[in-house]
Order: sequence, then C-alpha cells, then structure tokens
Amino acid sequence: MGGEPGQLAIRRTQFRVIIQAYNTTATNCMNRSVKALITVGLLILLGGVTFWALRGTQQDQIASGQAPTLNLPGLRAMQTVELSGLIALDVEPFFKDPRVIKLLTDNNVKVNPTRVGSRDMAARIALVGGPDFMFPSGIVAANQVTDAAKRANMNATQYTVFFTPMVIASWQPIAGILQANGLAVPLQPSVYSVDTSKLVAMMQEKKRWKELKSAQAYDVNKSVLISTTDVRKSNSAAMFMALAAYALNNNEVPSDRTTAEALAKKIADLFKRQGYQENYVNGNFDDYTSIGIGKTPLAFIYENQMLSYALARPLQADMVLLYPRPTIVNKVVYVALNEKSKRLGELLSTSPELQAIGLDYGFRIADSAAFSQKAQSAKLSVDEKLNNLIDPPSFEIMSTMIDAITREMSQ
Amino acid sequence: MKNIFHVSWVALLAALLLSACGKSSSPPSVADKTVAAAEQQAAQNTLSVLATSDLRDVQPLEEMVRKATGVTLKFTFGGTMESTEQVLSGKTTADAAWFANAKYLLSDPAGQARVKLQEKIMLSPIVVGVSESEVAKLGWTDASRVTWKSVADAAKSGKLKYALSNPATSNQGYMALVGVVAASTQKADALTAADIDRKAVADFLRGYKLVGDNSTYLAEKFIEQQGVYVNAFINYESWLMSMNQSGKLKEPLKLFYPREGIATADYPFMLLAENKRGEYQKVVDYLKGDEAQTWLARTTLRRPVNAAAANAVTFPTGTLIELPFSPDRGLADGLIDAYLNEFRKPIASTFVLDTSGSMNGGSRRADLITALHSVAGADASLTGRLARLSSRERIWMLPFSDRVGAPTYFELPPATTAANAQKKTEVLGEVRDYATALQMRGGTALYDAIIDALTQMSVEQAKNRSYQYSVIAFTDGESNQGRNLAQFKEAYAALPEDVRSIPVFTVAFGEASVSALKEISKMTGGRSFDARTTPLPAVFKEIRAYQ
Repeated sequence: MGGEPGQLAIRRTQFRVIIQAYNTTATNCMNRSVKALITVGLLILLGGVTFWALRGTQQDQIASGQAPTLNLPGLRAMQTVELSGLIALDVEPFFKDPRVIKLLTDNNVKVNPTRVGSRDMAARIALVGGPDFMFPSGIVAANQVTDAAKRANMNATQYTVFFTPMVIASWQPIAGILQANGLAVPLQPSVYSVDTSKLVAMMQEKKRWKELKSAQAYDVNKSVLISTTDVRKSNSAAMFMALAAYALNNNEVPSDRTTAEALAKKIADLFKRQGYQENYVNGNFDDYTSIGIGKTPLAFIYENQMLSYALARPLQADMVLLYPRPTIVNKVVYVALNEKSKRLGELLSTSPELQAIGLDYGFRIADSAAFSQKAQSAKLSVDEKLNNLIDPPSFEIMSTMIDAITREMSQ
Repeated sequence: MKNIFHVSWVALLAALLLSACGKSSSPPSVADKTVAAAEQQAAQNTLSVLATSDLRDVQPLEEMVRKATGVTLKFTFGGTMESTEQVLSGKTTADAAWFANAKYLLSDPAGQARVKLQEKIMLSPIVVGVSESEVAKLGWTDASRVTWKSVADAAKSGKLKYALSNPATSNQGYMALVGVVAASTQKADALTAADIDRKAVADFLRGYKLVGDNSTYLAEKFIEQQGVYVNAFINYESWLMSMNQSGKLKEPLKLFYPREGIATADYPFMLLAENKRGEYQKVVDYLKGDEAQTWLARTTLRRPVNAAAANAVTFPTGTLIELPFSPDRGLADGLIDAYLNEFRKPIASTFVLDTSGSMNGGSRRADLITALHSVAGADASLTGRLARLSSRERIWMLPFSDRVGAPTYFELPPATTAANAQKKTEVLGEVRDYATALQMRGGTALYDAIIDALTQMSVEQAKNRSYQYSVIAFTDGESNQGRNLAQFKEAYAALPEDVRSIPVFTVAFGEASVSALKEISKMTGGRSFDARTTPLPAVFKEIRAYQ
C-alpha cells in the first residue's frame, strides 16, 4: 500500500476502529501506546524539519528577490495549491459541500474534481496533463490506481479518508424469510446479521425464493441472488467478489492464483445469472430505493449509501439492513499522484472538521461515537461493532479474479 | 445538431485565440472578446438530447429547464433500437441521451465507453391494458394471477387482440416478447438465446393485430378500432393511464401487471459529450428535483424516483416482480430475427415507383436505386435487419410515368432450409437488378398508379388473408397525368370496403407536393415521409415498422 512511516502511523491511530477489528484476525500487532508515541514523535520531527526547511527557503528567496516557491507537502501556507482530480460518484457530494470547499480554501487548496467511474481511473493515469490525484470509491480501485502509477513510474501515495462496511440493503419480509431458514439473526429492530457462507451456498445451489420455508411473503420464482453492480466496472461488486471468494474457499482468503481462478469461475455465475447489472455505483441502490423489493430483494451496497439516504429523507418502514458475517470494510482511499497533491490527502484524512463532514455522507470515521450519533439522528439502526471482518485478498489475487470473471462474462 | 457542434468549435477556437492573445503583447479588441464570449456562452448553455420517441410528451421540459437553469435543451427523437445504434456507433452528435431503457446500450462495452455519466429520472413498467368489458370474457377477474403465459394463451385462442409497438424497433415490443419467453421457460435467472420458446412466441403473436412504430400512431388507431379489431394495448403504464385519462377511448382499459414479468423503463439521462458536464449536471439536478419530478408524475404519469414527489399521483400498489434484463446479444438477435422472418405476419406490398422524366434530375434516380438496393441488400446493423426484405415477403414493383406500367412480382421463401436461404439470396439479387434497370421518362400519373396498386392489393388480400398488405409510393412530382386528387378520392371511395385496411405510405423527393401526399396517407391510414429531410434507407426502416 505504500506511504511513508509517518503517514502510516497517522492513519493507524486515526483508524483505530478498523485496526481493532482487523486485530481479531491479525496475528502481529504493535502495542497501541507504542504506536501513539511513535506517531507523536514523528509529527514533532516532521514539523521541526519542515519549519526549518521553510525558513531556509524563504530566507534564500527573499535574499534573491524572488517569490517563494515551496515544494514540501504540508507547507503551502503561502500559496494556493490548485489540484485537478478524478473522483468517484460516492465522494462527489462531499467535494461539492460548501463547508468542504470553504475548509479547503482556508487551507489554500482549490480542487477541480471530475467525476468518473472508479475502475476507469487507472486507465487515465498516464494521460498527458493527467490529474494530480484520484479519489475512487474504494480500496480495490485505489490499489489499481496505485499499481498503474507504479508502472508509469509515478509516485503514488494512499491516504485512507473514510471507511464503510459492505452491507445488504433488504426488506422486512425478505429478512423474515432468511430468519425462518436459519440464515439471518435479528440484532436490533430493522438490523439483522446474515450468515455469509450459508447465503452464498444457497445462491450457488440456485435456490428459488418460493422453495424456501415460510416464503409466503415473497413466493416468487426468482433465484435467491444478491444484486450487485457490474464487477468489471465497479468497486462494490469487487468487494462482493472478495466476500464470496472467502465463503467459497472454506472461510479463507484465497492467496494463490490457481485457487483464485477456480473460485472466479464459480463466482462469475453469481454475476451472470443476475442479468444486466448497473455499471455505476448508485445504479443498484437506486433500484433498491425506487423500484424496490420486486427488483432488488437483496442489494449489495456500502453502508454509507443507506445512511446518507436516511439522512436526507425518512426511510420506508420495511427497509432493513443485513450485515453479512463476515463482511468486508471498504476503505475510501485518496491517492496522491504527485507531491503537491499530498497536502489534500493529509487534510482529508486528518482534519477533524473534514472528517466530521464525512459523517454527513454516511461514512464511518475514527470517532465511532460520532458515527453512532449520526445514524441515530437519521433514525437508522446500524450494527456499530462489526465484530466479524475479513480482509480482501491481495491486489494480485483480486486482479486475477476480476480478469477471470470478465472473461467468463463476455462469453 | 450540426449547428450546435459548429458553434461549439467556433467558441473553442475563439477561446484558444483569446488565451493565446492574452499572453501576447497586442490584446484583442473589446468587440472581438464580446463576440467570442457570447458565442461561447451560447454553446455552453445548450444541451442537445437524443431521446426515445416515447418521451415526446416531456417536450415542455425544454422551457422549464431553460427557466430554472438557463440551459437550453434541444430534443430529437428516435426509436429505441435506432437511437441505441446512433450512440453505439458514435454517429450521433447529441450531447446527451435519454432513453426509456438504456440496457441494450450499456451492456455493450462500446456503449459503456460512450456514456460518461448517467442518472435514472423516472420509472414506468410495461403492462397490458384490456378493454374493461373484455376482462371477464378473458377470465382475468383475479388480476394478480395474470402472467405473460395468460397473455400468450389468450392471444392464441383469438380472445386477446392487442396493439403493440414493433418488437424489432421498440423497447415495449421487445420486452413483451422477453416476458412471454420468460413465462414459458419458468427460468429463475436471466434468459439466454437457448431459452427462446418459439411456440410460445408464435402463440403470443397470433393476437398482434395493430402494428406500429410509435405510441402516438398506435393510440390514434387504437381509438378508431377499439372493440372492433382490437381489445388490448400493451405499453407503458404511463401511456395507458394517459389514454384512460384522455376520455377518447370507447371504454377504459384495465391495467394488468403480469405476475413475475415486469420490465420497468427507468429512463436514464446520459451524458455523451465530455465538455457538457456542467450543463448536464444542472439539468439532472433539476430533473431529479421536486418541481420537475412532480410535474413528470402529474403530467406524464411516470413514477418519480424522488420520494418527495411520490404522492403527486397515486399509482397502483403491489409488488411488481421485475424480470432480469438479459444482456445476451444472442437472445436479442435471435428474438428479433425470429420475429421478422418467422413469426410476424408476413408483408405483401406494392412499391409504386415514379419513373417519370423528372426523376433524372439531380441524384433522384440514383437515390431511388440505392434505396431499393439497401432494402434488398445486407445491412447487418440492429435496425438494418428491419429495413431489409424478410423471409416470406411478397413484393410487386409497379412503375409509372405517363401511365401505369406492368407489375413485376418477387417472393422471398421462408427461412427454413439452406436451399431456401440460397433462393432468398437469389431473389434479393433479382430485386437489385430490377432497380438498376429502371428507366425514367414521361409524365407523372401518380394517382392512377396508387389506385391500381390498391385495387390489386385488395384482390390479393381477398385471396390470402395471412399477409399484411400495404402500398408504398415513391414520387418526386405532382401528379400531372390521369386522375387528379378529387378523382382519386372518388375512385378510392368506390373501391371495395376491404381496401380500408391497406395503408398507403408515401415518400416524397424532389419537388413532390407534400400536402397531397399527406392527404393520401391520412385517408388510407398510412404515413407520409419526406426523403429530402430523411435519408431513404431510414425512411424504409420507418415504413417497415408500421407494416
């Protein structure tokens, strides 16, 4: 994932919640207080170095009568940095938010974002006069961008800005049927956990809704299938692929190509059988909210989609959230493609004000209490703890599987 | 649209010049700047939109959008398949596209690359409207049990006689076929080409009595023929609800939502031109806003996507189980080809060809020949297959000048065997040779020729009713020999009653009097086309969709 030790440390303290969750499966882990100490130390060190560097540069330039030109990240207090970037639909409203624009302006950053599909970003990396940064909707696309940058001999730096778990948006009658069939367990009103392995197995077996026990409320001929976006185009579908791969691989993250190829063949079917899949992130969720249970009994979405929807308008009474166990957390990662765009990455991931605005778009941040409050204010029940999380496979394995599924789907 | 394109280039050039000048020592005059800025402004604030023809009823949005956002929307309309092809091939110069269903477009990688952004604006499911008095006769008193299978069975038995847009050109028509196939296979997932149940499709098409390419035309005909030749209309919920509200129907239609067989049009508004992002976003924000959503719901009766407008109109409730849309091109190709070459009522038509001397003027003769060649050729595009002569088709070529010539007959064999396929190729070659040999001289006895053609078609019709009969007249001039228009009307009135079901399509080029041609088309239930504004191959495609 790259990044300097300093940045890594900052991100780690900040995303304590994620790390804690990961710790349940991770084996090696630093003592938290040690990490915090290192962080503070690095911050002081960085501050000191840059202070002296700035002083030095300024003095030199004043002496020679030129305007100061600075090239250290984090220290552009004297001039406005203008950045062009490609952003995903998910973060577009955030960038358009007047509060965000003002905070960035106050910090002398002006952003000219262009919205494109997350997975179309990597292909644009080597364009002449290309963007300064990319802000895709998730970790899979961010890793693709970083990989493409590496191949183009560019220096990419990742900053995790927000995170959000993958969930299934569903309906009360559907949750009831899943519960009756031993797949779902109610956690709170309108919130269920669902057994990922059992659900994926049921999809594999081509079970139809009307064949399930107590299916009167949805006794239709359709297969039990989770609707996703198009895996060839979108990050969220790739997260589904990762989750299904784990379930189909006897609850292990696949780590070799042969296994990955074999799994991809099985998973391709789960995409193909859906028929047409929307190829932009909101397509699937739009179908859920506007067409409803008849089209999307189960929609694989980012939790923040549901929360930002709920923050804008009252939810329909029978909407529910299913939290797959295990599930995957999507990290929303900013990728700086040059020196000058690092400043924005730092601001986004460390400014408490910008982080707090992220809550308004449904994202989770390090401050979990603030997130809970936000969800309550929208009258949306969420699973706050997320105590069963897995990691997506490595970038190489993900790419292998996406390529294999792409081949299968075009047949 | 070409114009807009041109203006934007001018503006771009102007902008480039301005920026270049800005750095040089001699700045441009204030007047230059103003002109360039105004042109840039004009180009910036327009958004040309290629829309599917069922969206004609949203045209008032042009004015609403301009008032609310300052962006000038300009709609042009086309059939779903034709518009899809325009975007796929990159032929359209439109900045944006607005389709009832863009899944044909977006399941193709080329289409995905053309579409930069997309947002769904509204919804309308495809449903079956049945004349209320017929519901009990069909045994459809429990609406929740009606499926596409019930529809196909009722059509087979002759009880259900419906109007439907052409399955080869329209989303409604195609999705109805898909619904029938899905219901007959009982498949739980997306269909593939292997699932096509030919018998079910054939059963369903036995009830297909009113054919047309656009809903407005079908509605006019339906109002005339309701209770006589037709008793059902398959179309979008919004369209059928509008017809019920219009008060023009002999009796209202009861809407049936085929169980587990719903295909909902979701009207994505799509950006095609990268440099129009600003305008696009303004328009989309407005269209998804409360004002436009409420207007769309109230005026066009499509379901809003914005929950705030949900109560503007009360739509029928109940869970509509959506059919998965199959992105399998093999399924679409297979169904459309089967429809055209096997299942649809075959076409029998007389081509009335103007071979008067004036046809030698300009490129008219060449244009006519090229058009006939393309009809008898091999245009493999989505819509080209439609314009092409299909299996089982019967054609009479009837040339006329001072007087009416002798008809030449061609018949294409059914697409059943390899030998027939070979024979079809040969007949198509003969049609092309016939066209190449056309000689133009003398006057224009147009009305006589049309009367002769109608008389002959009516005789053929009496002999064999399993064909769809029509007359297509091509002319470049006013009739100056034989009957005049008044005498034509007299002669038409004197023809057997049966001839009323044979439409005359007219195609004008050169100096043809459009008003007279329009009158003839209207009188006979056909359509008139103008080859001076629409290329002939495109005209053919349109005509075929009405046959």
